[in-house]
Amino acid sequence: MHSFTATLAFAMGRWLIVLVVWLGVTVVAQASPDAQSILAASDEIRNPSRPFAVTVTLLEYRSAKQSDENTLTVYSKADNTSGQFRTLIRFVAPQRDVDKLMLKSGNDLWFFDPASQSSIRLSPQQRLLGQASNGDVVTVNLAKDYRAELLGEEDTADGERVMRRSYKLGLAAVSPDVTYHRVEMWVDATSSRPIKARFYAESGHLLKTAYYRKFQPQLGRERPTEVVIIDGLDPAWVTVLRYSDYAWRDVPDAWLQRDYLPRFKPG
Amino acid sequence: MRQIIITLVLALGHCLSTKAAANAPAAPPDDLDALSLADKAPTASMQPARPWRLFVEGAVGQGKLRDTGSNFSIYRGSIDFRFDDHVAPQLRVVFSDRLDGVDSDGVPPGDNVNTLREAYLSWARTEDQIFDFGRVNIRNGSAIGFNPTDWFKANALRSIVDPDPAVLRENRQGTVVLQAQQLWRDASLTAAFSPKLARSADSATFALNVGATNPSNRYLVAGSYKFSDKFTPQLLVYGGDDDPAQIGLNLSGLIGDAVVAFGEFSAGKGTTLVTQALRIPEANSNQQRAAVGLTYTTGFNLSLTAEAEYNSAAPNGDQWHLLAESSQQQVLSTAQALQDLPTRSQWFLYANWKDMLVRRLDVSSFLRQDMQTSSRTLWLEGRYSWERAELALQWQLFSGPEGTVYYAVPQQRTVQLVLRVYL
Repeated sequence: MHSFTATLAFAMGRWLIVLVVWLGVTVVAQASPDAQSILAASDEIRNPSRPFAVTVTLLEYRSAKQSDENTLTVYSKADNTSGQFRTLIRFVAPQRDVDKLMLKSGNDLWFFDPASQSSIRLSPQQRLLGQASNGDVVTVNLAKDYRAELLGEEDTADGERVMRRSYKLGLAAVSPDVTYHRVEMWVDATSSRPIKARFYAESGHLLKTAYYRKFQPQLGRERPTEVVIIDGLDPAWVTVLRYSDYAWRDVPDAWLQRDYLPRFKPG
Repeated sequence: MRQIIITLVLALGHCLSTKAAANAPAAPPDDLDALSLADKAPTASMQPARPWRLFVEGAVGQGKLRDTGSNFSIYRGSIDFRFDDHVAPQLRVVFSDRLDGVDSDGVPPGDNVNTLREAYLSWARTEDQIFDFGRVNIRNGSAIGFNPTDWFKANALRSIVDPDPAVLRENRQGTVVLQAQQLWRDASLTAAFSPKLARSADSATFALNVGATNPSNRYLVAGSYKFSDKFTPQLLVYGGDDDPAQIGLNLSGLIGDAVVAFGEFSAGKGTTLVTQALRIPEANSNQQRAAVGLTYTTGFNLSLTAEAEYNSAAPNGDQWHLLAESSQQQVLSTAQALQDLPTRSQWFLYANWKDMLVRRLDVSSFLRQDMQTSSRTLWLEGRYSWERAELALQWQLFSGPEGTVYYAVPQQRTVQLVLRVYL
């Protein structure tokens, strides 16, 4: 009898261990949602689902003093095949840059100057807007260009200095055509809002940190209306990107090519 | 037993979340400073984009003549206006004009010249079919310093105030055309007809000068197709009553993240530059023109372009040296009017550094090295921009041994200070 009880207790103990381990794995699994889905949900907050236009104002600061200001109108449309956005950027201010255009479709990057009527192909390394790279201004679906990995859950300060429970994602480029080789991104665990991101060069050094903030209802859901970009080497070099005048705006596919640039003049 | 399991599971979950919270980083001090700065950033007052651009420009300069070694002065005032807007939902009006008043005791002497660059109506019949009528600056070409496929550049310059290739493309007269463009998702086809309107150029200050831009009936057909993000070639055919058919090709592509490669080619029957300049009767022969190059951009936004240029219609070194000095001057001035290469081959090196050392200071420079006669011209510009003004210092040098192409230019060097104010 004693032997039977001992055997039963031993068997139950083994089952208990198995059960605890299984439950533990289940808990961990529940706490580890798919990283790619988290990233895609965050993309959906940054990027409206249909073609749209938005005004972007860039305020640049060096050592706490404003050094430059540009205003752009950005027209974005997702490509039916790749899912990635194609973007037309029209310079609105300052006066010397009015009506200059930039077209970005993947790495197909063109700059058009209405004065000389010339369209010049740019390399991704050529910057037209000071600290902000061309890739910072255009609309990007990160989930299309990066493979996401869940690095953990942590409390992190958002752009309003409020602590948020967040998923920390590690993004590795799957396409050579992206602006940044590697990204660390914090996404709000409750709302899927992007909180901040750190962008790294291939060499591993930090290029810039971006905070997504001032969420407001725009085109059907809460979206960030301000991004604060801090330079990785010189933290006193700060660019504030403000997004306003969101509107649904279709752009025909035929317009998103070099030979249409001389004709682009939104009414 | 159930209690034990629940306790164990809760403990495990608590351990996991506590571990994550313990690793939670606070925002770094630099980030907090940046966010505080952004909090105080002023709310920009959004000005609607104006359909016009107007600036005035004043320049003072000095140069040195090669023959006499004497200095000369340059004073210039310019008004530059551009309007571009819809006057009806599918109708767009473009008007672009510039008036230069130049006072100089050098070569060439100062003159007052108005350049009507563009004045045309554009009608979008549908969103992918557009028609233009009027004076249009039709400009093709993927190269920077020499554009073999930019056929309408010939005789388009009325006033040269800046030798920067980008400015030369801007400050020129368009040609009067009837033009149509059909667009597809990845392709475009444009056809233009430029009619004969007058036979000779008119140098009067406010002349429309259609004799320079429309001296004969001409046509241009240009088509492009996007094979991939990195490759969109353009094929062109050009000709007219006085111009044998020419075929042209423009190519550009990316090499990695920092290099753009480009090539521009044209071929067709034509006469040589010397026979055009000296008005010697000659049968047409096969001619080819080409410009190929690379633009490399550094991590600190300095763009460097190296371009090799070729013109089979221009004299080689031996042919150039056989010309009398007055004939060399004629060939040089004809090449300048046609915006063609004056000798068979040249190297063109161009540098542009945006925000050099300080924000808003752009430095540009080019070196044009003639490979046939070993002479060169060097140009350097520093330009600082404010919100509504720009100040530029420009310097140009023509150098080479006696008898060479750039030795034939009357000026040896010039320096100019230019102030532009946007109104």
